[in-house]
Amino acid sequence: MAVAHGQMVDAPALAVLEHRPWWRSRLTLFTAIVGAMVVCYFALSHTLSWPAALEWTSLTGYLDRFQAWLSNQGDAATPNVFVRVLNGISSGLNTLVTWLYDAFTRLRWPGTTALGTLIALRFGGVRAGAIMLAGFASFGAVGLWDESMQTFALMLAAVGLSLAVGMPLGVIAGRSTRFNRAITPVLDAMQIVPAFAYLMPVVILFSVGPGAAVITTMIYAIPPAIRITALGIRGVPPNTVEAAASMGSTSMQMLGKVQLPLARRLLLLSVNQTILFALSMVVIAGLIGGGGLGSAVTNGLYSNPALAVLAGAAIVVMAIALDRVTEAIADRTDPAQRHADAAGWLRTRTATAAAAAGVGLATGLAYAFGAGAIYSRWTARDWLLHYVQNALDYMANPGTFLFRDITNPLGVFLVVHVLQPLDAFLAEPPWFVTFAGLVAIAFVLSGLRRAVTTALMFAVIGVVGEWQPAMHTFSQVLVATAIAVALGLVLGVWAAESRTVSRITRPVNDVLQTLPQLVYVVPFVYLFPISYIPGLLASVLYAFPVVVRLVERGVSDVAPHAVEAAKACGATRAQILLKVKIPLARDAIMLGVNQGIIMVLAVVVIAGLVGSGALGYEVAQGLQRNEFGFGVVASLAILALGIALDRVTQGNQRSQRESERG
Amino acid sequence: MSNRFWRGPARLALLGAGIAAVAVLTGAGTAAAKTGASCGTVTLNEQAWSGSTANTYVAKYVLEHFLGCKVKITNIAEIPVYEAMAKGKVDAVLEDWQHVAQYKQYVHKQKSVVLVGSNGLTGHIGWYIPSYLLKQYPEFKTWKGLKGHESVFASPEAPQGMFLGGDPSYEQKDTQLIQALGLNFKHVTVGAEPAEVARFTQLIKQHKPVIMYWWTPQYLNAQLHLVEVKLPKRFKGCKDDATAGGNVKAYACAYSSYPLEKLFSKQFATSGSPAVKVLKRWRWPSNNAQNLVAKWIAGDHMDPAKAAQKWVKSNMKTVNKWLGKK
Repeated sequence: MAVAHGQMVDAPALAVLEHRPWWRSRLTLFTAIVGAMVVCYFALSHTLSWPAALEWTSLTGYLDRFQAWLSNQGDAATPNVFVRVLNGISSGLNTLVTWLYDAFTRLRWPGTTALGTLIALRFGGVRAGAIMLAGFASFGAVGLWDESMQTFALMLAAVGLSLAVGMPLGVIAGRSTRFNRAITPVLDAMQIVPAFAYLMPVVILFSVGPGAAVITTMIYAIPPAIRITALGIRGVPPNTVEAAASMGSTSMQMLGKVQLPLARRLLLLSVNQTILFALSMVVIAGLIGGGGLGSAVTNGLYSNPALAVLAGAAIVVMAIALDRVTEAIADRTDPAQRHADAAGWLRTRTATAAAAAGVGLATGLAYAFGAGAIYSRWTARDWLLHYVQNALDYMANPGTFLFRDITNPLGVFLVVHVLQPLDAFLAEPPWFVTFAGLVAIAFVLSGLRRAVTTALMFAVIGVVGEWQPAMHTFSQVLVATAIAVALGLVLGVWAAESRTVSRITRPVNDVLQTLPQLVYVVPFVYLFPISYIPGLLASVLYAFPVVVRLVERGVSDVAPHAVEAAKACGATRAQILLKVKIPLARDAIMLGVNQGIIMVLAVVVIAGLVGSGALGYEVAQGLQRNEFGFGVVASLAILALGIALDRVTQGNQRSQRESERG
Repeated sequence: MSNRFWRGPARLALLGAGIAAVAVLTGAGTAAAKTGASCGTVTLNEQAWSGSTANTYVAKYVLEHFLGCKVKITNIAEIPVYEAMAKGKVDAVLEDWQHVAQYKQYVHKQKSVVLVGSNGLTGHIGWYIPSYLLKQYPEFKTWKGLKGHESVFASPEAPQGMFLGGDPSYEQKDTQLIQALGLNFKHVTVGAEPAEVARFTQLIKQHKPVIMYWWTPQYLNAQLHLVEVKLPKRFKGCKDDATAGGNVKAYACAYSSYPLEKLFSKQFATSGSPAVKVLKRWRWPSNNAQNLVAKWIAGDHMDPAKAAQKWVKSNMKTVNKWLGKK
């Protein structure tokens, strides 16, 4: 789950719904604006795109020249200091990852398995140990042991470094509002700008190989570490901080003894999220020499899709195992349980010793019996490949009931009756109609300041010459977000109300957040062979888990006294849900919507690769044909779209809260 | 008290395990260092399409089996691999589709990458249709026959007739061609190669009409009976890459055919390794040879190493030429 922006819900004050006359309500104004746009759409039939006079066409050229300059710098006979520092960083990272991988190799597979399992067992308990063991067993079972170890080494390095960089910055951001405000747009950019846009500069600066792969992964995995840590620090009750200050705590004491311990739960969440975000980059990292499971996925796509599915599954297993184990470790290190007595110390020390001895023993036995570095005996690979291939063949068969009667008609319906009309509505009228309409909607929904930001962002899109493609992408993003939010709301509320549903949705969410989209988008093309649909589905599948998690947490965190009070008044369960819980969880729900949009935008490039075209396709073209400037410009447009949508949905929360107070 | 008593043995056990581990690690180091004495390690880059997998594994088999080299395979994307070769991290790429901008930057300017000749294949991009269409519309053999019949290719997203565009990484000019030839197709970007394959195989399986950007060599062409639509002849100054811009008339010709190149990093080319000579001579006897191996790998899901071995064993004559034996 990505808690990214954000204000946490402080103990919710009772929501007082605003009363405006009906003709001034948001809904009416919104409908009126859309109505006016529809009238314009039909009245002004000819397309009038963003005027060329207002475009800055030389930007692409500048960017291209910048990249060539960078490349030549690195190639110069006497590299300057800057280049040497970068080379140092990249070779340092290469060494780190290679060292980890070599360590796994030398421990042999039994030793590596024992190391992972026993660390989890020692610090996280029996369940964590069992999960880790199952993880290793499945890497062996799918016959991708070596690839898994490469990825494992890469991810350990990337996650560790992301946390090492992100958490201190998060602490600063949590304590200084100014720093937080300064860093937020940077974090937005890191999350929204597609990795394809900066892959080439990363390669030029850091060459290819594990080092560059770690850097790329870190760019995407650091923002959640910073954001959630900051959220945690800011969430520490101010009266506690004041109490500590009045007792004469120094700044460091305050941080170490008060703020960090009290922010523990969210710090943990930031570790978990960093892991999930990092693992969602495995495939991209594979494109620049990260190797491992990422390469297995990309190559499998062309020559053996079933193998890509297995590699994707291994990535998911790794993510879930790491996530659950860190969670278990964190639970056990709860300071509330840490005051152990002498006997407790004794037990832990014995356990540590036993674990270390276990690793030594496993490694020793491995050498004694000649076990290889890579597990390669008795795999279920061929058997699994056979079944996965059968499933893929079924999906690729146009003669089946599934294709003929469900997916194909559904896809055609969505394109013909939803996507194409919306696309025409946004992209075909004269640009100023769409522009004015969207800014007016932003104004109605979230006030003047947000409307100005929105206007600015759409102006950027026009100026960089991406108006038409951006409108195509925009219409797809809107539809995907609407579906993801609707699905997420329903499942989130349901999960908050029912433990069973919650237990089912959590692993499903984990899978959808970490399974590389490339694994399932091609089967989607077979099932829904019509332009935008596969990309749309991929966006929905990636975005709705975030909505589910945030909504679930918001609804189940609603203050119990409010629920009790409603119960005492004789409210039914449905009434409590609709009149108490959901209104009180509104902030969390809005945060969910907002995050849903960001996640949908994160899939724009993948969507472009399977037929959604527009900005995503252009970004991919930029990387793959070395039209650096072109790709960057398209990414800028995606970023502008993201910021506009983000601010509008965020502004909503704030303006509502303000209107509640005022 | 008992605390102290236990700490001792616990530490000892830890220490013991540590020593065992160190012993094992040093022992392991020496055992692994003894492969490929004369040739050393050669790093080949495998690209994401099945033809490239065929190249890489056949070359790997030959180098390892006959020269005793150790071959490492990387999987770096098409453009970043130039930077990798410039830094000497990848030794050779065995199939490059004329990345002219990269040649300018890395081959001619930086001189960090070397062109070492064709891999024996001729690459050609064109407009392709399934052959069953020709039975009903024999005139589709050339682009002129398409005129007025565009709606045969209607799809839900393009009722006037759909043209399936190509992978973002390949050079294309179809929007310009369609306009310049006065055809009424809607150009639909279908995305990356696997997505395009999925889209048109789905249509072909249903025996529906489809016209698309496609190329040879590709093992699927024979399997799906794809035929090329004849486009206007090439003329002087005719352009192929739409990013060059300008008047659409300048694009109104067929795509050119060109040899697919082999690339070495400068470092590898001057290393004197015996692998350099062999890879320089390495070339497919025909497009069909690569298609065959690619089909084994991608179509029949054969293990690439086994597919390579199978091909080499039955084509020793070609392989001997690469090895410089008569």
